[in-house]
Amino acid sequence: MGESTRTPELDFDVYATQTMTANNAAWDEVRTTCPVAWTPHNGGHWVISGYEEVAEAFRDWEVFSSARTDPARSSITISGSRFPLLVPEELDPPAWHGYRRVLAAMLSPQAAERLRPRARYWARTCIDGMIEAGRGELVSELIFPVPAAVTLEWLGFPESDWTTFSHAFHDAAAFPHDTPEYHAAAAATVDVMRRVTEEVEARWSDDRGDGLSAIVHAEVEGERITQEMAERMTFMTIGGGVDTTSALTSAALLHLHQHPEDRARLLAEPDLWDPATEEFLRVYPPARTHARTIAHDTEFAGCPMKAGDRVLLSEISSGRDPDAFPDADRFVIDRFPNRHLAFGAGIHRCPGSHLARITFHEVMHEVLERIPDYRIVDAEVVEYPNWSMIGGWAKLPAEFTPGPRLGD
Amino acid sequence: MRVHVDVEKCTGHARCWSVAPEVYELDDLGYNVTAVKDVPPGLEDLARKGALACPEQAITVEE
Repeated sequence: MGESTRTPELDFDVYATQTMTANNAAWDEVRTTCPVAWTPHNGGHWVISGYEEVAEAFRDWEVFSSARTDPARSSITISGSRFPLLVPEELDPPAWHGYRRVLAAMLSPQAAERLRPRARYWARTCIDGMIEAGRGELVSELIFPVPAAVTLEWLGFPESDWTTFSHAFHDAAAFPHDTPEYHAAAAATVDVMRRVTEEVEARWSDDRGDGLSAIVHAEVEGERITQEMAERMTFMTIGGGVDTTSALTSAALLHLHQHPEDRARLLAEPDLWDPATEEFLRVYPPARTHARTIAHDTEFAGCPMKAGDRVLLSEISSGRDPDAFPDADRFVIDRFPNRHLAFGAGIHRCPGSHLARITFHEVMHEVLERIPDYRIVDAEVVEYPNWSMIGGWAKLPAEFTPGPRLGD
Repeated sequence: MRVHVDVEKCTGHARCWSVAPEVYELDDLGYNVTAVKDVPPGLEDLARKGALACPEQAITVEE
């Protein structure tokens, strides 16, 4: 079989659209044309965009492998980011089991719940920083700092690292790979890894009771984790923790600015927070795509896929599929059921989902409690130019009625 | 009413537990350990809601 067997072929470049609206529309066109197709762009890859197909591919890890094929490049981003091996995400079973177990225990629903008071504390502190002035830039003063503080305080990194780490991951996700901003961010992630090494080494024979110590002193399949794997797992946890939740929070704060009727309902009916959170996740999934590599020749949805072929699975498109969600293009605040794939599906499902929901809720709740009339200054909004994987906003300046600080 | 949880399909989203903690039980890693359970009277709606919330569609309800 030659190249021509990779059909149907579409002309789809996930980097071609530079706003959320345009990228969503591009995905709608892809999905409507064909939920499984091949595109020659970005090295050539399959594109899976229908809800059922995305879910099935996520679950079939034996065919749609997450394992690294190139030691220097990430296999779960279509662009092949130059990140250290992402542990456990870029391992498949059997190696995956032991590492995933460590992270699952650290981030279980019960463990994540114990971090809720810290998420509340940091949300309150950040709002304190803006509330007397009656204005603030929500991304840099609230949306970035809270997930970074919750994650990095829990792991045990000193406060002096928080802003640097946070910006490294945000910028790596926000800018296309051929830009100077991306190259600066890639260099910054190397510095993050150097700090990770220092802190891992500092805990090697010193259990300090923090998240880093839990990783450093973990047992994997009956043996102590190696330093290299402890560093990789820490890097993965930082990246997952500081970046994605902020993309969701930015989208939700912008949404409530643009849809006062949804803001009014959340203020009047706090019970709506549970379904509303799932709806924010469906409509604004913080991780919009993930890449996979075909492990062995297969046929999927009638398409012949060959070992080594790259595949892009679209969480964003799956959530916009009208076959899975009635009125898929409408934000329905009390939608139920809502089996969106924002955290993926199958064994590699995001283990940070429980902490993400808690952090998101605490920030949103603090905003609606203390600055319920906030309004975003539309003319000053800055959207990130790259919606291929994470997306988000660099600036969301806001004005609101001033209020008192609450302090500690 | 009885619920069946396919523990092979459960990947720890914990949505069932979030919606219906009275019906579904998690292990220390956040995975459902309920397997098969007779639903106590009065909790039928919650049990159904928990099943519908599962992104892996791992829960079936026997009415």
